[in-house]
Amino acid sequence: MPHLNRVAAGKGNLTDPKQKITEAEAIEQAKQGDEAAFEVLYQLHKRRVYSLCLRMVSNPSQAEDLAQEAFLQLFRKIGTFRGESAFSTWLHRMTVNVVLMQLRKKGLPIVSLEETLEADEEAPRKEFGADDVKLAGSVDRMQLERAINRLPPGYKTVFVLHDVEGFEHNEIAQMVGCSIGNSKSQLHKARLKLRDYLKSMRAEKAKTG
Amino acid sequence: MTCADVQRVLPEIMDAGGDLEFEAHLKSCPACSELVNELEWIAAESRELAGSEDPPDRVWVRISNQLRAEGIIRDQVDPAARPVVVPAPARRWNAWWLAPVAVAILVAGSYELGHRNAPSFSQVAQQPTQQLQATPSPSPQTSATNQQVAQQVPPAPSAPSASRPVILAKHRPTEVASGPASTARREISPPASEEDAQFLSEVSQYAPTMRTTYEKQLRAVNTEIRETQEYIRLHPEDLDARQHLLETYQQKALLYQMALDRIQ
Repeated sequence: MPHLNRVAAGKGNLTDPKQKITEAEAIEQAKQGDEAAFEVLYQLHKRRVYSLCLRMVSNPSQAEDLAQEAFLQLFRKIGTFRGESAFSTWLHRMTVNVVLMQLRKKGLPIVSLEETLEADEEAPRKEFGADDVKLAGSVDRMQLERAINRLPPGYKTVFVLHDVEGFEHNEIAQMVGCSIGNSKSQLHKARLKLRDYLKSMRAEKAKTG
Repeated sequence: MTCADVQRVLPEIMDAGGDLEFEAHLKSCPACSELVNELEWIAAESRELAGSEDPPDRVWVRISNQLRAEGIIRDQVDPAARPVVVPAPARRWNAWWLAPVAVAILVAGSYELGHRNAPSFSQVAQQPTQQLQATPSPSPQTSATNQQVAQQVPPAPSAPSASRPVILAKHRPTEVASGPASTARREISPPASEEDAQFLSEVSQYAPTMRTTYEKQLRAVNTEIRETQEYIRLHPEDLDARQHLLETYQQKALLYQMALDRIQ
């Protein structure tokens, strides 16, 4: 007995730039289980998600797993997305939650326990000679990336979430479980540490020529 | 306002902006002014780092495989599609071999991870192959298709290359593979292309619309296996890499299993 096969004709390739669809259309089609629609959403957001994971864990292999998990969680729940907030915001928060959960599983500190700044300094620290080279123009992006990777886990989390990813302090406080004041304090300390790291890199480079 | 005051209030007003007293102090104090400028510069430059890294292609392959396995990705049927009459295949039982091959892939991957001096994969993979040989030989049409497919699918390499795998390259120090490849301690190669070719041939026969997808995914996973094996050869102590290799074998086994589910 011959079998009848329905062959999908002219479905088109949703990832073809000539056949662009909007994010909203892709979301609706993804809710119907359309693979191409899922891929469109993935392509739209993969860089942001992966970069966030990579910056938080500093390990490409782990970052891949975390990015994969974030997208899987999102796509499993896509049927519940009603459009109250931007899709990217939803995905972004989910990614942060996935990463933070991973850090918690590993027992790594997410936020430092310190609450207040040391107030005993009279003036900002001024190191590395009187004729300091300004950071702007003397430090490249690679050095900044390396400096960020050196930050202690607690500082790095708040710094990445605020300065790199653009979350507000009230959002960060909610996600990591600290106060807004603590989030601001951690961010400030992270920036001060980065400033020190970058100046030492600059001084080292000047020494070695 | 003193410099100490500036230090104290900076966390609060750094991004929100200061009052007149704060601004006046900055104008009169080069040290505080430089500090604030540099912290602002760090914040501004860091904003440019968002979304600056691309994940490798295999991430999407894994995601789509998993979504398909969970039934979240469903084949779409175009209502306007013309029905096509396809003659019933004479021997649908050919697909049964996919299951033991999927298991063999998984066993080989686990065995390789557990034993540094594991036998070559071909020896382990020959078990389902030997079962295949006991079956009636495929039709001439299938053999011709196999040959065509074998020419199209890049075979998994049997000799380790000197290049570093991309997946594990990013944050590792540059290393150069030293010494000639040792055939005596050759790492297990990904499954022979004969199995992959026959797999794709079966897919072509029973699920032709999915052939391109499976071929692409097979190529991606074979590349991943090859690169990870080479990396492990250079870094045998790297447990993360071994775990990654096992997961990649699992991916390949899943690919075979998905095809089997579709064909049956």
